[in-house]
Amino acid sequence: MTPLAYILAAQAADPEVIDRIPSGFSAFVLPFTIGVAFMFSWIGVGLIRLLAAIPKSDRIKFAKSLFIPKTALKNIKDLFCDCLFHTKIWQRKPLLGYMHSAIAFGWFMIIILGHIEVALFVPARLNVARGGLFYPIFYRYFVWMNPGHTTLRGAFFFFLMDFFLLYILSGIALAIFKRFRSIVLGMRHTTKPSLADRVALYSLWLIFPLRLLAESFTADLSGGSFLTVPVNHFWHFLFGDKLWFMPCWWAYSICLGLFFAAMPFSRYMHILTEVLWILLRNAGVEPHHPRKGVAEAEIYACSSCGLCLDACPMNVQKKNLKYSSVYFIRFLRRHNEKKINAIADKCLMCDKCHALCPVGVNAPSLRRAQRATVNNALPYDYSYLSTVGATATSASTLGRATASLRSAPPLASQSEAPVPPLTVPRVAWVAPAKVLPEATNKVLYFAGCMTHLTPRIIKSVEKVFKTAGVDYVFADRDGGICCGRPLMLAGKTEAAAAVIEANKKMIEESGCDTLVLSCPICYKIFKEEYHLEGIKVVHYTQFINDLIISGKLPVQETDRKLVYHDPCELGRGCGVYYEPRAALKRCGTLVKASKEYDESICCGGSLGSLTLDTKDRSKISEASLDSLLANDPQTIVTACPLCLKTFSEAVSNSKNRDINVTVKDFAEVVCP
Amino acid sequence: MKNNILIIGGGPAGLEASAQLQRMGYNVILIEKSPKLGGHLAKWDRLFPDSVPADEVLGSLLRGAEGVKCFTDTDVRAINRLDKSYNVRLTNGITVLSDAVLVASGFDLFDAVKKEEYGYGIYDQVMTNADLEAYFKTGSDPRIEHPGRIGFAHCVGSRDEKAGCRSCSKVCCATAVKQAIEVKQAFPKAEVYCFYMDLRLFGRHYEDIYLKAQKEYGVRFIRGRVAEVSENYDGTLLVKAEDTVAGKPLKVTLDLLVLMAGMRPSASGKAIGDLLEMQVEEDGYFAVRGGIAAGQRSPIPGIFLAGAATGPKTLPETLADARAAAMEVDRYLTEIFPDAKNYKQLVKERW
Repeated sequence: MTPLAYILAAQAADPEVIDRIPSGFSAFVLPFTIGVAFMFSWIGVGLIRLLAAIPKSDRIKFAKSLFIPKTALKNIKDLFCDCLFHTKIWQRKPLLGYMHSAIAFGWFMIIILGHIEVALFVPARLNVARGGLFYPIFYRYFVWMNPGHTTLRGAFFFFLMDFFLLYILSGIALAIFKRFRSIVLGMRHTTKPSLADRVALYSLWLIFPLRLLAESFTADLSGGSFLTVPVNHFWHFLFGDKLWFMPCWWAYSICLGLFFAAMPFSRYMHILTEVLWILLRNAGVEPHHPRKGVAEAEIYACSSCGLCLDACPMNVQKKNLKYSSVYFIRFLRRHNEKKINAIADKCLMCDKCHALCPVGVNAPSLRRAQRATVNNALPYDYSYLSTVGATATSASTLGRATASLRSAPPLASQSEAPVPPLTVPRVAWVAPAKVLPEATNKVLYFAGCMTHLTPRIIKSVEKVFKTAGVDYVFADRDGGICCGRPLMLAGKTEAAAAVIEANKKMIEESGCDTLVLSCPICYKIFKEEYHLEGIKVVHYTQFINDLIISGKLPVQETDRKLVYHDPCELGRGCGVYYEPRAALKRCGTLVKASKEYDESICCGGSLGSLTLDTKDRSKISEASLDSLLANDPQTIVTACPLCLKTFSEAVSNSKNRDINVTVKDFAEVVCP
Repeated sequence: MKNNILIIGGGPAGLEASAQLQRMGYNVILIEKSPKLGGHLAKWDRLFPDSVPADEVLGSLLRGAEGVKCFTDTDVRAINRLDKSYNVRLTNGITVLSDAVLVASGFDLFDAVKKEEYGYGIYDQVMTNADLEAYFKTGSDPRIEHPGRIGFAHCVGSRDEKAGCRSCSKVCCATAVKQAIEVKQAFPKAEVYCFYMDLRLFGRHYEDIYLKAQKEYGVRFIRGRVAEVSENYDGTLLVKAEDTVAGKPLKVTLDLLVLMAGMRPSASGKAIGDLLEMQVEEDGYFAVRGGIAAGQRSPIPGIFLAGAATGPKTLPETLADARAAAMEVDRYLTEIFPDAKNYKQLVKERW
């Protein structure tokens, strides 16, 4: 190493900062430079591949979105809030939010400030050819403060750099603490780190303490503030006048290099991918494949923070942790085909992980896309549904049971005598749906399959309509076609499209202007996928609330204590939280559940899961029930036939015999 | 040997066991939580396969148990295990010191309200197998007025994971066939349909009544579960089901739908099980010690089980089980119980 005194003599005497090494290079920067160069080339290639995998129309949409002022503003806001400040985590778990934002925002500020310092004091070094890649990072090593020439401006930056370093260190301290006692930061479960995660994690823990060490060792030469200077004095006190600082800078550089080299294979990839994902998300581009294109950005934007572990209703049992979104995404990254499919099928699709995700990774939609890769190809034969009245074709294969039928008189409904025997199809699959009576009224009520399985809802909805004098047509009184949402959730998108087409035709031909649905599952798909021009699609909670407000439906206030359960598809799925509560407040005292609104726990009956067994489901029901019973309500009110059914069973099977609560549908409570 | 034996449950199992044990010379105390002895048998009109009146069977059971100390309207308040015996406090204030306890708590019928898609309690024209028996017994039910078309839905609360009932209830298939015949006898012009998923007619003569139902009575059997039921404007029922043999969905309008509610572990039996901390298996019925080889001993020494407390059983099976339980009790009270010195060792070896 060149003697320091020699270099100093060569400098002009005046400037505040002296670039003490003319070459602007020292061998210790190599680990960092190699690591970061590797990371950037990896990401560059990845970015090109990713963009190439996005369909052209989406690519154009994405490019355009960057220049639409509204989207651009939202991008900026989201980038700051989601990537740097982590406002979503702050809102839920302040300590955890502090930890994340300390590391993210603090680091960001140190990098920015480092570059500003270089730009102000040694602008030539910003040039990549002259060390621009590493110089701002190791600025403190390369410069010498000209004693007696320090300005307020310089001191200001010294202060800021020390401040943000301390800020980060506090975050790191919390992070280390969290590894051992996550519950203190509000997390019951945390993810298990993979090997690359561990390498990156431990280097990340070391980077900033080492930076403090390195900068404090050189603080008497290159300057410092309230943190580095006292520490520097301490070292002098400990080791005497001669401080051997090179090992610290080497260690600092090696840790940085290791971190960046491990980054593409670790959870920390999210630091950069998040940016791309937020831009794509705000552009409204959706994944078409569970792994390629947009999905890839989404997968790599997952920070593996594990907030979804506590969110997932399946995790009331520890054995189900492996089905959480964070692991689903990890296996997607690793292309572990077998595990991916098992996990994708297990999910209840309650969307809570999506709602609580700090970066808004839509894992349920990825799971759906994954299901589609398998299930779309499954052959089902629906042809029989259109063979109306063709008993003879299968007569030869009839067993003993139907043999006796053939000689028997035809089994037809009494009201419509000349119907062919036994074969009146329940649904006409994609065949034209039945024509409804022309709606002189403008309200069409579609109950859907699930409501048909809970006839008391139909009874009470019809009672509400009659009481309020609503002129309506009951679209599927004698049964109708599935809305398509269950098929969609199962990944059978093509089959769902066929169903949607048939239903859409039926609704459009009815001439209604309002479509009322009593099932949130139907509501979501009717609202999102049907694109019914000129028809207002409302959930019955909204419709009934309007009836109450307009005075058409009188309600009686009772002193019953009610608790409202937010059905997944209605709350998180469609954002309907207000109307049911508004109506219920007029019917009784509405008490709180321990988890509600977007944190509401799935009842466990969800159609979303393809493989979760009854036992696991009942555990989820119990957890959800416990949350609802937090404030001793007398009645649990829900606005979903599936939740109604599930909770009714859960209450009657509950091990807790003391619970004395009835489960009722929204319409039943409003119009008893 | 005048050991006290407490029998919990005055249904067929409890009655038969108390008759047997009394004959062996024991001092039997029978308790029944309802006002009347006989359990579900007392509510039934006729029994499969040969349609003997239930009253006749119950009568002979009651005659057999004559002389047994019997408390109706009585439940167990507390049970304490003493050294070898049990100190049982009853709800009528009496305390019994019993050397053996036989739990014959039977079953509850599945609450058909839980299967909401079938509309029990919502639609007027839906009833259960028990309701139909009550009609046969009393001759009146507002739901039955010359029904033209009657359906029987099998497996309501049996073999239905979604309803939380995995096991087969054993008796409903034969009961449905019996009731279908009886309905046809009462209303010869009615059309009767049975919606089944499997017909489990395993017992002696069961197949005979099944064939008779088809040949002589024209009852129609449709293989497929009822999916859902809705009500028409005129109060009739629209039943949607699938004929899996023909591979076609079907709709049928009915005047009456009878739900074959299955057997569930009895709630009061469970309460007694809780008092005793007795092991319950996944299906909700009590676990027996020694598996199929010895089906009447509970895991707790001195506590015996009989009848539907250990799973669905037909009446003959229940009676056989009760007799076997009586033998087990006797063996315990003569071979193990009196040997105060070696009691613990003997229990270890032979319980």
